[in-house]
Parts: sequence; structure tokens; C-alpha cells
Amino acid sequence: MSQGEKQRSVLRINLDILNAVSDEHEAKPTHILYKANLSHERMVKYLDDLTGKGLLAVKQDGENRTYSLTPKGVGFLLEMRRAEAFVQGFGLNI
Amino acid sequence: MPAGTVITFSLDILSAIVALLTSYYAYRSNRLVGNSVLGAISVGFMLLGIGLAVDAGTSLVTGKLLVEVPMDRALAVLASFSYLTIQMVAYLVIAVGYGRATYGSAVVAAPAVFAGWAANLYGFSVLSYFVVLVLLAFVVFQGFLLRSGKSHGMSSILLLAFSLILVAHLVLLISVLTLGAGLYLAGIGVQFLGFLALLVFVVRSEVVVPR
Repeated sequence: MSQGEKQRSVLRINLDILNAVSDEHEAKPTHILYKANLSHERMVKYLDDLTGKGLLAVKQDGENRTYSLTPKGVGFLLEMRRAEAFVQGFGLNI
Repeated sequence: MPAGTVITFSLDILSAIVALLTSYYAYRSNRLVGNSVLGAISVGFMLLGIGLAVDAGTSLVTGKLLVEVPMDRALAVLASFSYLTIQMVAYLVIAVGYGRATYGSAVVAAPAVFAGWAANLYGFSVLSYFVVLVLLAFVVFQGFLLRSGKSHGMSSILLLAFSLILVAHLVLLISVLTLGAGLYLAGIGVQFLGFLALLVFVVRSEVVVPR
């Protein structure tokens, strides 16, 4: 990370991951990696966390692993998008 | 009941509802995001909503506008004091919230200057509207500053809302100085337009278009 680049909050990273998963019906880790701009190690940590919280569901098909939003994840993402719109309106960041 | 009282009561109540709605959404967003400025906005708008409801109640009970309230009516004077104080504290909380986000925690000491304010309602009204005017100018300035400094600053509609409330308080201050009931009503009207713009912002942020 460059010095001028502000570090993203955990919430921001989680939101980026959920948005990346939401883009696809079933998102592959490479898609999430690219969209959320994370290292593989950090992505695995965050994905485990979100899965553990019941926001993401994992589907293992042979060697392929895909992630999708659970109904709880869909609700959380919608709430977060609303909060983001409100917060950004006041000129603030998540 | 005089038309002016009915107008003040209606616009104050509607503005109070919008203020309390904004307070709720700020509280809800703060629970998810955990931003101290949002906390200040939530508390500030809650106080504003309460203050506007107090002002509406005063107009209804006394049948007079704030600028017409006679000095010897203790209840009306007390209610007006309460409204002006709550309003001043509300904008103070919002301004300090923004100030802390921009300049750090040192800014909280600034408002402790107003110890020797006038002991009567008229003097207090003038002082209160002046202080609110300064605080709102600060919030609008911060809004412009955030807008120029970030890719997504304060939204235009929100900036319009705060600017209208700022203009309203300028008109209200002049109405208190000149004891003009017409100007006071105009100020309340412009303030309502500001809260209407705020309502548009709140509704728009709720209707998030799915990606």
C-alpha cells in the first residue's frame, strides 16, 4: 500500500467482498480477489469470517469453490448500502 | 386562532418530524458504521426535533409567535428559552461533530464562551439566533470543504438543506431584531424548505438502487 493511500476499514473490506459476491450469482475466489483488491491470505481470512457470521455460503464442487450471499447476507448488504449512501451524503466515509 | 400561529405550528411540526427521522437514520447508520460524526448528527437532529416540537407547542398554547410573546407570561418565556437553548445545543453538537472530524478534539472547548448572555428572552433570542447562524455557517463551510476535498463530499441536496436553514436563521435573526412577525413567518417557511430538502436526501439514501 502506498503511503498516500488510506487504509481501508474492516467494514469497508467486508462490504467490498459482499459487493463482489453480489455481482455474480456464485462468485469464484479469483473474482472476489480481483474485485475486493486483497491478497489471497487476507481474502481467505475475511471469507472465513463472513461465512462464519452466516453472511456467505460456500459451495464446493470438486476442486471448484464458489461463494454466494445467504438471505442474511443479502439483508446485511442492503442495510450497509443504505448506510453507505447516508454516510457519504454527509461527506463521510465507511 | 391567527393564521400565523397555524402556519408556524404546522411547519414546525413537519420540520420536527423530518429532524427526528434524520436522527433515526443517522443512529441506525451509526450502529452499522460506528462514526462519531454520525453520532453527533443523530443527537443534534434529535434535539432539533424536540426543539421544533416545543416551539410548535408554544405557538399552539399561547396563540402567538415567538416574536410576539409578552415578557410577563412565564410559561411562554420558559418554553421559548427551552426551544432556543435546545436549538443552539443541537446545532452545536452537529458543528462540533464536524469540527472534531476535521480539526481534532481541541474544537470542543470553543463553545464555552457564552457565559454572560442576556438575561431576558429578547436578548437571549438574538444571541441564540446569532450563535445558530455562526454554527450553521460553520457546518455549511465544512460541507463545501468536504465536497472540494473528496471524490464524494457532502451531497448537493444536503448542502442545499443546510444552506436554506442557514438563510432561514438569518431571516429569523432579523425578524427578532426588528420584531417583524411577517419576517418571522418567512424564516419559518424557509427553514421548512430546508427540512424538505433534508427529507429528499433521507428518502433518496433509503432507496438504494441494487447494483
